[in-house]
Amino acid sequence: MSILNVAGVSKFYKDVKALDNVSFEFNKGIISFLGPSGCGKTTLLRSIAGLEIPDSGSISIADKVQTSIADGILVPPYSREIGFVFQNYALWPHMTVFNNVAFGLKLRKKPNDEIKRKVISALELVGLQGREERFPSQLSGGQQQRVALARSLALEPRLILLDEPLSNLDAKLREEMRVELKKLIRQVGISALYVTHDQEEAFTISDAVVVMEGGKILQYGAPDEIYNRPAHPFVASFVGHSTLVDGRIVRVEGENCLVNVPDFNGANLISLAPQSAAAGVACKVVIRTTEVKLSHDGFPDGADNVLEGMMTSREYRGGLTDHRIQIGSKELVVTSHKFCPMIRVNGDGGKTFVSIDRAAISVILAQ
Amino acid sequence: MPLLGSAIAGAAIITPVLIVIWRSFTTGRLGFNVGLNIANYARVFGDKDIISMLGNSVVYAGGSALLGTGVGAMLAWIVARTNTPGKTLVELLPLYPILMPPIMKNIAWILLLAPRSGILNGMMQQFFGIETPIFNAFSMTGMIWVFGLACVPLGYLFLLPVFLSFDPSLEESAYIAGSKPVNTMLKITFPLALPAFLSAFVLNFLRGLRSFETPVLQGTPANIKVFVSRVYDSMALEFNTGLATAYSVVLVALSVITLYFYVRATRFSERYATITGKGYRVKVIDIGPWKYLTFFMVFIYFLAGIAIPFIVLIVVSMIPYFDYDTFMKFPTNAVLTNYYTVMRHPSFVTGFYNSLILSVTIALVTVMAGIVMAFTIYRTRASGTRIFEFIGTLPLAFPPLVLSVGLVIIFLGTPLYNSLWALGIGLFVAYFPYAFRNASGSIVNIHKELDEAAWVHGARWRHVFFKITLPILKPSVGGALFYIFIEAIRNVDVAVLLTAPGKEYGPVTLFEYFRVGQWAEAAAGGVVYLIVLIAAVSVAKFAFKMKFSL
Repeated sequence: MSILNVAGVSKFYKDVKALDNVSFEFNKGIISFLGPSGCGKTTLLRSIAGLEIPDSGSISIADKVQTSIADGILVPPYSREIGFVFQNYALWPHMTVFNNVAFGLKLRKKPNDEIKRKVISALELVGLQGREERFPSQLSGGQQQRVALARSLALEPRLILLDEPLSNLDAKLREEMRVELKKLIRQVGISALYVTHDQEEAFTISDAVVVMEGGKILQYGAPDEIYNRPAHPFVASFVGHSTLVDGRIVRVEGENCLVNVPDFNGANLISLAPQSAAAGVACKVVIRTTEVKLSHDGFPDGADNVLEGMMTSREYRGGLTDHRIQIGSKELVVTSHKFCPMIRVNGDGGKTFVSIDRAAISVILAQ
Repeated sequence: MPLLGSAIAGAAIITPVLIVIWRSFTTGRLGFNVGLNIANYARVFGDKDIISMLGNSVVYAGGSALLGTGVGAMLAWIVARTNTPGKTLVELLPLYPILMPPIMKNIAWILLLAPRSGILNGMMQQFFGIETPIFNAFSMTGMIWVFGLACVPLGYLFLLPVFLSFDPSLEESAYIAGSKPVNTMLKITFPLALPAFLSAFVLNFLRGLRSFETPVLQGTPANIKVFVSRVYDSMALEFNTGLATAYSVVLVALSVITLYFYVRATRFSERYATITGKGYRVKVIDIGPWKYLTFFMVFIYFLAGIAIPFIVLIVVSMIPYFDYDTFMKFPTNAVLTNYYTVMRHPSFVTGFYNSLILSVTIALVTVMAGIVMAFTIYRTRASGTRIFEFIGTLPLAFPPLVLSVGLVIIFLGTPLYNSLWALGIGLFVAYFPYAFRNASGSIVNIHKELDEAAWVHGARWRHVFFKITLPILKPSVGGALFYIFIEAIRNVDVAVLLTAPGKEYGPVTLFEYFRVGQWAEAAAGGVVYLIVLIAAVSVAKFAFKMKFSL
């Protein structure tokens, strides 16, 4: 059984393609949709909820068809039996917390004592017991967020959709809430689809991440897979901090390959070979900024990919420091912690050596 | 369902409009088709008075709008930006005149300014020995004076928020650039308020074009014709529907042009957008001893706008009959016979009763229909609903008198003619845009996620409408209900052509009393109305804790 199946969904707004033939399947747990604003992730979420009607494709929840343009099936949102947490919470301002949470249960004509029991337990779950008679305007942002969650959880849906639910909270609260949210969803044992533009949030909260751009799914995989083996230059630049340069594969040697990078004065970099790598193929080289070593004096023989450059500037970020190193016509950013020997060197300029570990490089073949 | 409701309301609105246009292109008696022709227009444009009528309309509407908006702007500046004493009182004084129905003001000012019998002219003669009357209510100046005073509150309400939410740094940077306070006021403050001034001016101009009471009561006796009074004459005196509709179409064309300028002016003022929603602390200017003068100015407007007319009405309603000498003997000759007469007059009693019942009903129905239509447009998935946006706003371009011309033509020969239904439909059509625009504005402001949250949690449209939309709209619904009630209960221009013996409408009855010279009775009836209005305002204010901003 799959909790959610999306097949060939497309949606146009006038000339803009919001969703371009999107297909994926998802069985259980928490899945995140990650992408910049306008990438189509919210449109996809709203199509799943039935709030948007796609131009083509089909959507099934728990193996039941909800939307199928070809068959003319369109289950209205009120019959889809899902939860939905909106970005702005969408709490009804004229109802108390209790009535907000009880709304869906009342519509389902549940007996009063059952409604009361379920509302109280949903509020307990999110830690808001005792606030039943408050109005949304009397709650803080974080509390409103919890009420919105409780409102969906009270209906005990199999699937809950969350549309950037934490984006209106301040940074500190956001970090707390995402851990709590993950625990809570696990505890209730439902599946969740989580939309966000914050990669750290997506990685923390979910079992699988889908990266979207321009209405297309670029990569679908576990968080570490997305981070370590980006399948698309956009994925590499969007998740994590990295420097991208153009290259061309010179030769493949076993599990390694040699890539020529003209921007780095034509240096040849050794890296792990991607699948179907072949000599002469153009590619993008992704260098993760946190996995590069720095030195003033050079590196011992046998170190991977030693290059020489000039440090142009250095930005202290608190705990971490970014070093900008000009190599050939390209600037390589290297992020180091405070134990890095380079930190103690005064001034910005000067000759610098870098060693890029072969595992710190991802080679993405041109499509 | 919401779609059906909107379709019915839309049909009720569009029919009289189409009828007026169609009818203007045909001659012959109603019910006989003689084909389309432009004979009516030939007569309208062949009318040798057309040029003077056009001139009169523009001078009257423009003059009143200029006087009203100018005074209103000045009052707004005094209230918002000067240290005039008695702030809370001064803020409210310019608004009280809204309470008085327009026809009451006309009656009161005619009593004051009539050339022979007018109280002020009588005083001039008695105390200064001036024989020739100085004031003349039946003149263009008299008309502009009375209607201009009625235009002040709108100018005040448009400009007050501009002066109140003015970003002080705009003026401060002028000071730093070396500009003195007076120069800053002239070069920075006033130019920035200009767009709002223009909006208010054009809206008041439109109200002038549509206004009925002043041209008919004060213009017609002096043979100063404007389009509205010409439409009324050809309908009420000649009963020539073709001619009336042709004049109407010209009037509508003028209104549409004005509305176009209004939209332009509003857009212009949005571009200036000095109001950012940020709460600025308004800088009050210390104007020294001048502050007593500004207080006096606000008070003068209060006197002219409502206090004097109100006192005159009360006195006239309590003297045996109206002439200057009897008036001056008050209070030694105070009687209540006029009230006694008026309350026993069947036409007043039924008219009063009808106007109460109809205003309440129409307020409820109109506001509800406006919400349903706005909900259909903005909150349902039905396609093609945008047409309702146009239909719902359409009556704004039609002076109320013209709408009732259309309704007379439709209902003639049907059982609805001379019934309260016709009156009710007329009031509904005339006030629908207010209800609709109010509801649209509020519904658009309700975040769509609130509806969607209800949908995904199991609500259908009726749940969304009754459990989410209506409860959230409650405050603005209250305001709209009250506004339409107040407007409807004092309406003359829609009702005047749709009343019949036994089916009177209160304000129209007063209008008729006045036209046939029963001035004291008209005054007594007017005072009764004022008492009801003041009671309604007090009830609304204290029982529903309603806040008023018209």
